[in-house]
Amino acid sequence: MNSHTITKGPSEVQLTQGSVLQCQDLSYRYPNGKLVFKDINLLTFEDELVAIVGPTGTGKSTLLRCLGLLLRPTTGHVYLNGREVTHPSSKIALVHQSIATFPWMTALDNVKLALKCKKGISDKEATEISERMLELCGLKGHEEDYPKEMSGGMRQRITIARALAASPAVILMDEPFVHLDEFTANSLRKEIYDLVFNPETSLKSAVLVSHNLTEVIELADRVYVMNGSPAKIVDVVKIELARPRSPRDPMFYEYADRLYAKLNMKEAIP
Amino acid sequence: MNLIIIGLATLATVIRIFALIGLSVVSGWILAFLAIRSRRFENTYVPIVNVLESIPVISFLPIVLIVFIYNLGQGLGVEIGADFLVFDAVAWNIWIGIYQAFKTVPENLLEVSENYRLGSFTILRLLYIPHSIPRITSNIFSSFADAFFYISVSEIFTVGVKQYSTFGVGTIIALATEAGDFVTVYYSLFFIAIAVIVVTILVSQFSRHAVAKYGVDTAGEIKRATFEARYRRYRRRLAVQLGVDRVSKYIPRATFYQRRSSMLDDERESDSDTRKRINYSGILKVALITTGGAIFGYILYSAVRLVISVPSSEWNGFVSITPFLLYAMAIDYVRVAVVALAALGLAIFLGYFMATHHRVGTIIAPLLQIWAAFPAPTYFPLIFIATLPFLRAYLPLWYGEIYIFILAFVSCFYYVFFDFWIGVQAIPSEFWEVMQNHELGFFTRMRKIILPATFPYLITGISSTINSAWAGLAIGEFWPLIDGKHSLYAGVGMMKFITENMASGRVGDAAWVSLIFGIVVAIYGIVFTRNLMDLARKKYVVEEGVYAA
Repeated sequence: MNSHTITKGPSEVQLTQGSVLQCQDLSYRYPNGKLVFKDINLLTFEDELVAIVGPTGTGKSTLLRCLGLLLRPTTGHVYLNGREVTHPSSKIALVHQSIATFPWMTALDNVKLALKCKKGISDKEATEISERMLELCGLKGHEEDYPKEMSGGMRQRITIARALAASPAVILMDEPFVHLDEFTANSLRKEIYDLVFNPETSLKSAVLVSHNLTEVIELADRVYVMNGSPAKIVDVVKIELARPRSPRDPMFYEYADRLYAKLNMKEAIP
Repeated sequence: MNLIIIGLATLATVIRIFALIGLSVVSGWILAFLAIRSRRFENTYVPIVNVLESIPVISFLPIVLIVFIYNLGQGLGVEIGADFLVFDAVAWNIWIGIYQAFKTVPENLLEVSENYRLGSFTILRLLYIPHSIPRITSNIFSSFADAFFYISVSEIFTVGVKQYSTFGVGTIIALATEAGDFVTVYYSLFFIAIAVIVVTILVSQFSRHAVAKYGVDTAGEIKRATFEARYRRYRRRLAVQLGVDRVSKYIPRATFYQRRSSMLDDERESDSDTRKRINYSGILKVALITTGGAIFGYILYSAVRLVISVPSSEWNGFVSITPFLLYAMAIDYVRVAVVALAALGLAIFLGYFMATHHRVGTIIAPLLQIWAAFPAPTYFPLIFIATLPFLRAYLPLWYGEIYIFILAFVSCFYYVFFDFWIGVQAIPSEFWEVMQNHELGFFTRMRKIILPATFPYLITGISSTINSAWAGLAIGEFWPLIDGKHSLYAGVGMMKFITENMASGRVGDAAWVSLIFGIVVAIYGIVFTRNLMDLARKKYVVEEGVYAA
């Protein structure tokens, strides 16, 4: 991996060349003073899906929000394509765990919301983009439906379509399938990789937070394991399985065992 | 009396009420948005509204007289005065409801707005306002009922020998009752009944639609507002079913638009640190402070002018009657406590029965809503006429207090009842299963589960009940010539003091006792109601009782 150095204020920051999203020495402290995680270094490359796993309460969702600058990290910096990100941006789109659709807007209006702040796009153009994204997400014909008239899986597709409509470089997914039943989640998982890295989207990489190790191994190219209190990255596991991945593959269990072992580590984290 | 005139007067009253409800809603949106954006504004706004909500409308009558009628004259002054009193009856619970709705916008939807960098007005329009619609509709009904209750004192009132009135059904009823023209009174009540039933049906339907469309976690069919919206949906579904590829031919265009927008985004983000965003919140705050300051300044100026004009001998007179006023206030507080306890008792038993017998609930609830919206002062004379001979014969010492109690009770019972009933329905089904599983008796259920679970609702309901009870006392403690022949007076009562002095033209005495009463109510609201609400929010939110992982 080639890296290059940039000078930011009094310190030097090592940026890895070719990285899409990179965070350096990220830490976050709650307003009550509790340090959630520290010294987090994470990066993604083009056409890569990176997962973050960890026990409950380690701060994975908080880390995801720091990557999107929806929470301001206590220390550290976030870089997108080599440029520092200082405020939330539609270029780093977040897909929530709790399906965040606006119940009073149709599917089409929910997706068009992502284009509200974009100059240079007329309403007609925004409609066409949004219709295209809904079609990509398998919701063609449901543009005028309200989220309450749809199943959970369909609602989550709306949020993914909305994220994609904003032409993001990175998509952050916070346990996007946890509120769906197993059949719907399984069906959506199978499609998510192709959906996210569809050549018709602007997406370059994705970050997925999940508790489900099977889901992580099935989807991710690399897995960051968080553990400890305050949490740190204890391991980075590269998943080198050919796609489509099957849980019946013996290597699948090996990866699962390795991740499980790291998650259950109780000794002191260096 | 001409039926057309009565019909038009009823329409005028309804339009006046809904115009002021509309004004309350729009101003509530602006103020709540500023409150959530500025901690300092919030810490000022919320306590002030809580205090204003607890001061009975009738206490503002001297202010209306002094500020509007004396300065602006008979025509415009009376209309604005009436609007002010009606606004006072409808605004506060709408403002608080909107503020509570804005404070409870789901965190994930706020993050979506932030992620896509939506501007302040866009967030207000697309997120906060829609999210507040269900809360507004639930408050519209009680605001409408409140406003209707006060039409008999806001549209017409007598000060000394002068009578001030504005066109409306409250004026017609008051004048007809004075003249003993009960045919006109009956027709007026009939028109009011039609208005109340129509409004109840429309508000209930809109409420169902609002909850279905705007509620975050609610189920229900969403009706499209226009034929065009329904047709658009049908057309899209049909296109998919027929395999007509309406959208796909736009692939190259859609992709081009996105790429072009992305390039523009890159240019914009490179100077985003220096890009200045117009601070709409700041502009709004300045505009609001200027307007509010001007109104407050005018009221303060009128008040100071009045204070200066009052001779010191009159001030001495005010101070000397203060001990008696405090005694009269204490008597009225006892009356309010009795009414509130009776209302609470009936609300608990009836509310529990209706919540556990759903079919009965679906019949009784709308009937109670219609009855609640029907202003008690308009039909009370009929109850008085029918029962006076009996009560005077068998309870000669108590019949006056009984009538005052009845009037206060019917003016306030439904607040605590509806709040408790909604609270019981909000108890999670798991709690009911636990009660059944352990075979808990009625009183154990009440003491251990139902009353604690409905505590936040009861605090809100009792607070509104007490505020409305004062209104009932204000009318019942001094009501000359109810039926043209008989009058209703309390022996001792602060509300009697206010209304009697207003009627006699002794506005200064009425204003003085209103001021003292306002201070007492404000202290009560801050010391008791607010702390009880804080306790309720910390410990008794039943919706948090069941954790769904």
